[in-house]
Amino acid sequence: MTQQEFKPEKSEQPASPVENKEKKPAEGLARDLEENYRKLEKTRSVLHTAGKVEVGQTPHEILAETRAYRLLHYQPLAGKTARTPILTVYALINKSYVLDLQPDKSWIRSLLQQGFDVYLIDWKDPTSVDKYVSFDDYVNSYIDDCVDMVLKKNKVDKLTLHGYCMGASMSIMYTALHQEKVRNLAVIAPVIDTERDSTVIGNMAKNMDVMKMRDTVGNLPPEQLYACYSALKPFKQGVAKYFNLVQNIDNESFVGNFLRIEKWLYDTPQIAGETFRQWIADIYQKNLLAKNEFMLGDLVVDLSKITVPLLNLVADEDHLVSPDCSTPLNDMVSSQDKRLMRFHTGHVGLIASSYSQNNVLPKVGQWLKARSD
Amino acid sequence: MQDNNDNPPAGVTPEQATKMLDAWTEVLKLPTIGPMYAFSKDFASYADEFARLGKIMAEMKGHLDVYWGLVSTAYAKAAKDTAEKSPKQFATKEDFDGYRKAIIESFEDAFTGLFASAEFSSVYGKVFSSQMDMSKAMQTITEKNFKALNLPTRSEVDEILKDMHELKRAVRDLKKGMEALMNDAARV
Repeated sequence: MTQQEFKPEKSEQPASPVENKEKKPAEGLARDLEENYRKLEKTRSVLHTAGKVEVGQTPHEILAETRAYRLLHYQPLAGKTARTPILTVYALINKSYVLDLQPDKSWIRSLLQQGFDVYLIDWKDPTSVDKYVSFDDYVNSYIDDCVDMVLKKNKVDKLTLHGYCMGASMSIMYTALHQEKVRNLAVIAPVIDTERDSTVIGNMAKNMDVMKMRDTVGNLPPEQLYACYSALKPFKQGVAKYFNLVQNIDNESFVGNFLRIEKWLYDTPQIAGETFRQWIADIYQKNLLAKNEFMLGDLVVDLSKITVPLLNLVADEDHLVSPDCSTPLNDMVSSQDKRLMRFHTGHVGLIASSYSQNNVLPKVGQWLKARSD
Repeated sequence: MQDNNDNPPAGVTPEQATKMLDAWTEVLKLPTIGPMYAFSKDFASYADEFARLGKIMAEMKGHLDVYWGLVSTAYAKAAKDTAEKSPKQFATKEDFDGYRKAIIESFEDAFTGLFASAEFSSVYGKVFSSQMDMSKAMQTITEKNFKALNLPTRSEVDEILKDMHELKRAVRDLKKGMEALMNDAARV
């Protein structure tokens, strides 16, 4: 998806022109060929012996587990500086460990190091019996149950709801309906105004008969998602990333990062049929969320009812959720205290990169601290 | 591949296939009286489903032809652009790197342009829809056999799933309602 956002700490540079001039071209080429062959052999060996790729290593306990989710509570890594707990809502696409990919690029770890009490909803894979599970279940049952558990555990009456991508959209839906339990709403790359979305995914979604899909195959099969992913920057990322891997095969940190991201990219569960139908037909095709007409069961999600402090994080190079699709949120809510932060990175780079650790998370922490007891 | 203008296109067109399958469907409507009645009823029903499957496959072929046509056009454009952007000689490492970059950039531009186009979105939707129609037709045929074996069909299981899900929701709403009532009572 966004492998290119993960640049090596020190990628190999081509030899300087002065050095090249000193070599005879044929000799230089033969040496390069030999070097490339060595790197290719090493790549083969590394990929075949990579073994288990460790992800999600930040210590945590499982506070609750159901068929639909695991609620994780992370152990503190610093003295608590904020009383208001953070409940992180991950998307239904791929797995939540991208928020805790590796210790030096972990969104969760950074929040813990800044003194926050962090919880995460780790969605479990739906099976064929979950065909009729909808956003109503995710928002009004699962997220609501998790919110209640976190509030009870921390003996507080409000928390910070923090969502990423589809999880951001779900956090927004939840806040619009259950605002009394939310102190702050902090979202990353939310899907809101899909008429302004210019991504390939948005384009492919326009003519998909998702009702037919739900009634015929049930859940969205992972293969269909792979087909969408492969249409996103198919050569700059789909092909060039493997050239980069070979070129940087001697860089241990680069290779480790590559393997973790690659594992995450292809760790794709099904998406419950009715949820996917709503996502594509109601949100992408009819733009109901932006029109304040999206229904969760019998309830209308009206974004103008949101009055809590809002932080909206947007990536300018996001090719999965257009920045223009996320930014209207700030104009649609009624919050007086609202902030839009834009960063010069991509969808995954925003949450799991050195850039995010150095440029995004300190600002997020600062914003949250100022609004948490 | 482009057909020579002097020759008719290879294969059967979706319209021809549909016409032929419709004709067979009519032929298979055997008399509805006499000893062959039950057999002909079952046979006609299977034949109808297979005829429907054939129609769907013919339609899907038409959509796939358009789909691959668009892919071929994008590929040809990318190959042409690559040739224009490529280094004129291959003597140094930089020449090869330049060639690699030219390939990636040209193919990226051509295919991203394709995937972002309204034409692609439309044909992708049609191919997707045909795939679903084909699965549905095959499921219908399979379900007939399940009935013959006295096994529950997918549609029946689906009905149960739907009922179960509605019951779960009703229980959830009841639980939440009770919790709210108990909280109110505790406050009073």
